[in-house]
Amino acid sequence: MFFEQLGGNLIQGIVLGAVYGMATMGLSLIFGVLKVVNVGHGAFIMVGAFLTLFLFSSLGINPIIAIPVAFIVGMGLGLIFYYTTIRKLIKAPELATLLATFSIGVLLEELVKLIFGSEFRGYNWVVGKIDLGITVLPMSKLYACIGSVLIAVLLYLWFKKTRAGSAIRSVVEDSEGARVCGINVGWAYALSFSLGIGLTVASGVLLTMFIPVGINPYMGGAYTLKAFVIAVLGGLASPYGAFFGGLVFGLIENGSYTLFAYIPGVEPFALTRFLSFVILLVILLIRPTGILRAK
Amino acid sequence: MKQTQKYFPLIPLFAAYLFMFLLAENKEGMWQLMSMLLFYCALGQAFNVFMGMTGYVDFGYVAFMGVGTYGMALSITRLVQYEFLGAWILVIGFGLAMAMSTLLSMAVGAVALRLRGAYFAIATIGVNEGFRFLIEGARIWNGSEGMIFTADLNKILGRETAAALCTYWADIMVLAIAALAGFVSLVYMRSKIGYALTALREDEDAAKVMGINVTKFKIIAFITSACLAGLLGATAWALKTPYVFPPEVFDIHYTIEAIIIVMLGGAGTLLGPLVGGLVYGISKYYLSIFLPGFQLLIFAPVILVIIVLFPEGIVGMLKAKTKGTGMERFVI
Repeated sequence: MFFEQLGGNLIQGIVLGAVYGMATMGLSLIFGVLKVVNVGHGAFIMVGAFLTLFLFSSLGINPIIAIPVAFIVGMGLGLIFYYTTIRKLIKAPELATLLATFSIGVLLEELVKLIFGSEFRGYNWVVGKIDLGITVLPMSKLYACIGSVLIAVLLYLWFKKTRAGSAIRSVVEDSEGARVCGINVGWAYALSFSLGIGLTVASGVLLTMFIPVGINPYMGGAYTLKAFVIAVLGGLASPYGAFFGGLVFGLIENGSYTLFAYIPGVEPFALTRFLSFVILLVILLIRPTGILRAK
Repeated sequence: MKQTQKYFPLIPLFAAYLFMFLLAENKEGMWQLMSMLLFYCALGQAFNVFMGMTGYVDFGYVAFMGVGTYGMALSITRLVQYEFLGAWILVIGFGLAMAMSTLLSMAVGAVALRLRGAYFAIATIGVNEGFRFLIEGARIWNGSEGMIFTADLNKILGRETAAALCTYWADIMVLAIAALAGFVSLVYMRSKIGYALTALREDEDAAKVMGINVTKFKIIAFITSACLAGLLGATAWALKTPYVFPPEVFDIHYTIEAIIIVMLGGAGTLLGPLVGGLVYGISKYYLSIFLPGFQLLIFAPVILVIIVLFPEGIVGMLKAKTKGTGMERFVI
């Protein structure tokens, strides 16, 4: 009984973890290339979620089509914020970019609140479910998981096979060296930032499949924290590390939920949120460069 | 600089607080606005001790106010049965608030202060949420139901004194905390701690090479700032409104406001949090009348503009303007 429940939750954890991983790749990409921590990360996920909600509820557009739409909107937002603020702060002390990305997050939250209001919303995309014996998996979650893996693979191929991808990788290795070799570093920064934001907004679409009625302007804060745990698990600067970090985190979250549910008198959901904070501190304490990354 | 001249900048600071107090005392209907302004000034002054002086930003700052609120709440609700303690319960409450915020800041600082810049910010961003979910999840201190202790406070002090405490004395205590935080900031700025922190803020590696124990000074500033936050939570929240709910006292909203106030006024200056607190508080007050709920929508882009164009804030610019004039020694 216990093992069935645990197994079922772990399967759910892997499915959710893949989406978590994809939702963190943008954060790691931006940190890896620009050395900027996007503290407003969760707000961009929230934008993606609202975009999905709007496209689905008002225009009847399938969430799968919302993924590329969100990606393009995100790239646009990324370019706007890069050229208006981030570009001017790259050379400034770290405090400046931290506060700037944080303010961008607050700005997005308040804008969305102005348009959609602050109550919790959701939508219902019925595409059936599959019974795995120990757990029932809605097809929408499965699609989200497949979508995440596909996007991660595409990003990997883009980095490995295209000139732009190699240019960005060279900037990650050594931005001065890249500049000497004739790479337009400013352009690589702009592209990486908008790509990172695009991925993050697109991940908001995928995450809505896991939160039936959890779409709210302030939903992002929880994902910012989770994304930091995941990014630090994977080594902060590596998008692929982040993807695997997401899988691990999904397993930890759902596995610990199953265990906490057996402790009488506690609220297991709140404890999993506390646990993610503890994991963050422990990793930062013992190995800030990431658990999953080989030295 | 002569010994007494060192403390000249306290004159405009304390004069402003005194003026605010007298205005609120004597002018009908000003008290509510003034108590809000004092809260924001105190919040800014306390936050500035760490963020302004070190250039590190603590996104989980509100957690220290939260545990301070719990410190006061716990001593009131748990000690109310020992009647002989009387009003000493409040003194114990302040002690507990300071002790709890200090302990939490030491625990967080032990991990976070070993890390630099971005990693520090990442380590602190979940502190408030983490602590909130620990209280709710493990159901300690009444869990998510929180605590309401108006009745206990009435029992300890008598109905009338308790009412006076909530509506009047709590605000006076917030004023005292704002002044204390300002005083501590200046003492730090004028001592070895301040010089070390300035060196650290400008270039941490260079400061280290010059033999400054940067970690020690970071910890001092971090704990001081947290302790002041604990006191602020114990007064402005626990005594002014005698209840505590985890989602309210760990709300990141207050960290956002602290950042706005400090950046607006000028990080690392003494008068900055006062100016920032007044500007933010007054705008919030009038915005809540004309455009309720819009203050963050307006202030978020304002902060972006400040970070990009005027990173030194209002007082920072004043400081540059008054350089070389007689006003110089008052503005810092």
